[in-house]
Order: sequence, then C-alpha cells, then structure tokens
Amino acid sequence: MSASVKRFVFPILGLGLGGVFVYAGIQKYLAPYEFAEAILAYQLLPFGLVGLVAATLPWLEMVSGFSLAFGYLWRGRRFSNPVPMGALLRRSALLLILGQSLLFVAVLLIAMARGLKIDCGCGLFMDRQVGLGAILEDALLLGVLGWLYWRECRAGGREH
Amino acid sequence: MAIKCVTGRHDFFLAACLLGLAVILGVMFHWPLVQASLRGNLTTLLDQKRQERREVQFQGVKTLDLAQAFQAWQEKKALFVDARKADEYQELHVQGAINVPQETWAELNSSELMKMDRMRELVVYCSQESCDDALKLGKKLREVGFERVLAFTGGFRAWDEAGYPADTSR
Repeated sequence: MSASVKRFVFPILGLGLGGVFVYAGIQKYLAPYEFAEAILAYQLLPFGLVGLVAATLPWLEMVSGFSLAFGYLWRGRRFSNPVPMGALLRRSALLLILGQSLLFVAVLLIAMARGLKIDCGCGLFMDRQVGLGAILEDALLLGVLGWLYWRECRAGGREH
Repeated sequence: MAIKCVTGRHDFFLAACLLGLAVILGVMFHWPLVQASLRGNLTTLLDQKRQERREVQFQGVKTLDLAQAFQAWQEKKALFVDARKADEYQELHVQGAINVPQETWAELNSSELMKMDRMRELVVYCSQESCDDALKLGKKLREVGFERVLAFTGGFRAWDEAGYPADTSR
C-alpha cells in the first residue's frame, strides 16, 4: 500500500469506526429502558447488574468511539509520555472497542446457540434479531479493528 | 522478520481510565435505572416506562389483556392478526389467526386484509409483552381505515402459557 493511500485509509477507517460507535452509543443512551429490556432478554446477567450495564455500555461506546476518532485527529502532541498522545489514545480506544466487539460476538453466539429469537439490541440497525447477520457484521468489525490495532502496534507510536 | 508490537502499560492504563469515565457517566446520567436494578425493582420500572412510552407513541390504539383477548376469541367476533415473522407464525399461532409480518407492512394497501370490512374487529398480537410490533401494526391498520383495532399486548407467549388454543395450520 502506498504512503499516500495509508495516509488517508487509516484515519478514514478510524474516524468511521469511531463515528459508528458514538452513533450506536447515542441510540442506546436515548433509550436506556428499551436497552435494559434488550439485555434482560438475553437472560445472561443477574437482575442487579442489568441496570448498571444498560447505563454504562452506551457511555463506553461513546467514550471509546470518540477517543478513537479524536486520536486520529490529534497529531504530534506529546506530554511527558514518550508516545504521542494521539497514538496512545487510538490504541487504548481500540483495546476497549475490541473488547466490546468480542463480548458482543460471544453474547450473540450464546443467544443463538440457546435458540433465543430476540432483538439484538445492537443500536445500529433497529429491530434486528439475533442471528447470523448480526454475528457476521460483528466478525467483520472485529477483523477491521484487529487490523487497525496491529497497524498501531507496528507503528509503535509513530503517526501514520 | 519478527514484528514487534508496542503495547505498553500506558495503553491499558488509559483504557482503564476511559472505562472508569464511562461507568461514572453512566451511573450519573441513569442513576434511577441503576438504583432500581440494584434494589430488585427493575421489572416494575421497565413495565412503568414501557407503558409511559407506549401511551405517547401509540396514542389511539386500544389494548386488551389476556382474559379479554380470550373472550374475543371465544365469541369469534374478532379476527386475530399475528404480527410476528412468518417462521414463528408457522411454528405455532393463535388458532384462526392470519399472519401479517413486518416485511409486508409497506404493502399493506395491496394485501388481502384490505378486502375486509373496515368495521371488522381486529386483535393484533406479537411475541410477548415487551415487543411493540402489535402496537405498530395496530397503528398502521388504523391509518389505513380499520376502526376497531385492538392490540393484545401479552402476545403469543401469554396465550401459549395459558394453554389457549393454538395451531400450526395457515
């Protein structure tokens, strides 16, 4: 891949993925009770934890999505850290987003294995049911995120 | 050539800080939800919030409880309309119900349902209490001219659990 392509592809991918997570988080933040119902339907968490997860997961998506996008916009600035803040923010956000995506895939697989016909509560496409479509979408997202993270690791703090 | 992946403790530390920030913001902005869940009142709160939302979102669509729905079925005065997906309907549905799945709602004007008398009483249901499809379809049916539309909010789960007549035939 040529340097000029790299210069645009990674920031566009990062900004796009960050935007997707912020959007998904806002959707859930605006409908916390519906999101809590969607979590309940998975029958995976004790009742006492459903409220906490329904309240914090939208913020986790928004915070990590915003951090990822902001990391691609913030270039060159260093504090006392030897690694540029932009790169550090990108990698930390990617770690969080990778963790969330792995969790989503695992939860979807468990729900599918148990034969649950429920709304996936994904936040991006409303009224989508748990199924192969949602799992493939998350698997594709995981692949792209993994590639971005690998690139960031390899760059070792250098800006693209 | 070995490729070194530079992931330091700084990355995990900042990720943990972002996670902490998300938890603090989540608890701050949705404390009533977290509190109800911790106190074991989550289902009561969700029922109340669902009811409030539906009263605004589906204004004008009357609802039926299980006993009223069964009475309407026994008296054979209403046509039952199943708003679930075709495969769920084929698996099991209220005896005598017709299926109008969501993917057909856009062409409701050209469906068989439109040949019926608009004064016919329709009882619409979906899968369970938490699903909105019965109310959504009920609202659409009112918009196309059916005046006596009722949504059975307990859904097929409540009907089936009560042991009321259900079958697999179309």
